[in-house]
Amino acid sequence: MASPLILLPGDEVPSEYLPSSNSAPLRLGAGLRLLSQPSAISPSHVISATQPGLLSTDNKRNAVSILSTPNRRYVPTPGDLVIAQIHHSSPDYFHCMITPQAPQALLGQLSFEGATKKTRPMLKQGDLVYARVLSTGLGAGAEVELTCVNPATGRADGGLGPLTGGMVFDVSTGLAARLIKASSSSGEQQDGVAGLVVLDELGKKLEKAGGFEIAVGRNGKVWVDCANGGDYAVKATVAIGRCLSTIDEHELSSTDQRKLVTRILRDMKIES
Amino acid sequence: MNKEAPLSIAERDFILNALREDVRLDGRQADQFRPLNVSFGEEYGHVKVQLGKTSLIVRISSEVTKPHDDRPFDGIFTIALELTAMGSPAWENGRQGDLETYVSNVLDRVIRHSNALDTESLCVLKGVSCWNVRADVHITDYDGNLIDAACIGVMAGLQHFRRPDAVVKDGQVIVYGVDERVPVALNITHKPLSVTFHTFDEGKRVIVDATRKEEQASEADVVMGLNNAGDVCYLSKFSGSPVSAMVFVNKSSVALEKVKEINGIIDKALQADLAKRAKGGLMEESRATNDR
Repeated sequence: MASPLILLPGDEVPSEYLPSSNSAPLRLGAGLRLLSQPSAISPSHVISATQPGLLSTDNKRNAVSILSTPNRRYVPTPGDLVIAQIHHSSPDYFHCMITPQAPQALLGQLSFEGATKKTRPMLKQGDLVYARVLSTGLGAGAEVELTCVNPATGRADGGLGPLTGGMVFDVSTGLAARLIKASSSSGEQQDGVAGLVVLDELGKKLEKAGGFEIAVGRNGKVWVDCANGGDYAVKATVAIGRCLSTIDEHELSSTDQRKLVTRILRDMKIES
Repeated sequence: MNKEAPLSIAERDFILNALREDVRLDGRQADQFRPLNVSFGEEYGHVKVQLGKTSLIVRISSEVTKPHDDRPFDGIFTIALELTAMGSPAWENGRQGDLETYVSNVLDRVIRHSNALDTESLCVLKGVSCWNVRADVHITDYDGNLIDAACIGVMAGLQHFRRPDAVVKDGQVIVYGVDERVPVALNITHKPLSVTFHTFDEGKRVIVDATRKEEQASEADVVMGLNNAGDVCYLSKFSGSPVSAMVFVNKSSVALEKVKEINGIIDKALQADLAKRAKGGLMEESRATNDR
């Protein structure tokens, strides 16, 4: 594996950095755009970065994406998991907010698992949904469309759907991307994936307090719920939120993250 | 588009439930401020205030003008605050929202109307010329409790600011540049600060220094303006659900404690800045004695 590559917007991705297998189609993640297909002039794909960040390749899934810097602005990319808030509903769609001051995204009334005209979820203003970005459209006035099912299978993979209870914490989009990366790839590593061990550590420590559920949206929102926490439910949720926001503010190493978790849990008086 | 993002139902419920267990989102106590940092720029009257994630810059400036006709002995002091898109994506340039009017009004009442700056001392020549002191507040990041942060900024700025020296000679006003004569500090009569309380659960839970999310989830807010001596110079409850009068009585002691604490932080920052300036500054140069 070559050394890490940092790209700036407009930079082309060198072909030696792309996953080499030709069996599956190459999947482009956030921050990358396909400029041209292989042709007579250039024999390979021209892929360029639209955001600054570290190029990350996943040979197993044949995917490549940009690990962005911890910024606040989220630009929807098809395939991203986001946490959206219902703004209002119309006969066919729920109008959702992915980022507060950006145009609203559309979520079909029937794009939930097993939803029919009679069984569709009745969501009201202020409810939260965990959804996947289906398409972002092209050109001016294009609308972002969300979905809560996998269009191929009709199933809600990965816990898509309405989120009830719990609490939402705001983090940077960079940290959200790292959290998703850390949770999607299995395999025990000493330093954690993408330098994050905080969730593993919290999971271990909060096991006795009933564990917790977490959903990470690429739009910089993290939903946390400790429904089985009993008396500790609120404190554990707040502790997780504090851990995440502290890690977001100060880039912490894995040992510091472990120390932070222990300190905050002690501070919140949670037994572990 | 120019609206503060509304809270989701989950967030609102959670904040309330957590407060019922005396837990705040950042692990603070109910009457604890976020970490406050006051720093000063190169020039006099240039203050940076960082209160948690809320940050703002205050700039004090002065110029010689003609006093108002009805108050020939008084100088002019104005506080200008504008919420621009620099502070939050929810604000739009050039459009005045409710928050802007509210914060400007409270600042005016707490600092200007309580005569924190003695405007009579700004008079240079009766009815002819006086100093016009202006405080500009620029918000650079917004995470709740703008009122207290802005008050801290303006008060720190007034205490830090030095205006050029001016004298009257033969009916002529002469203003000396800052490099000609040691500039003069403003005459501060007292140091009022505001403390904003937010109430939840029909006034049963009261917290200070709310973050943006806490502010949005709250029912009502109460602003108290006090100085170090405990004189209440401002008290308001503009909107929201009713709050029992006992809350005001009980919380005024908390407010006094907070005002003393914050004034302490400002004083410490001022002294540190003064000590830094004393080395190699104009004061040193213009002193008659030397090290020998």
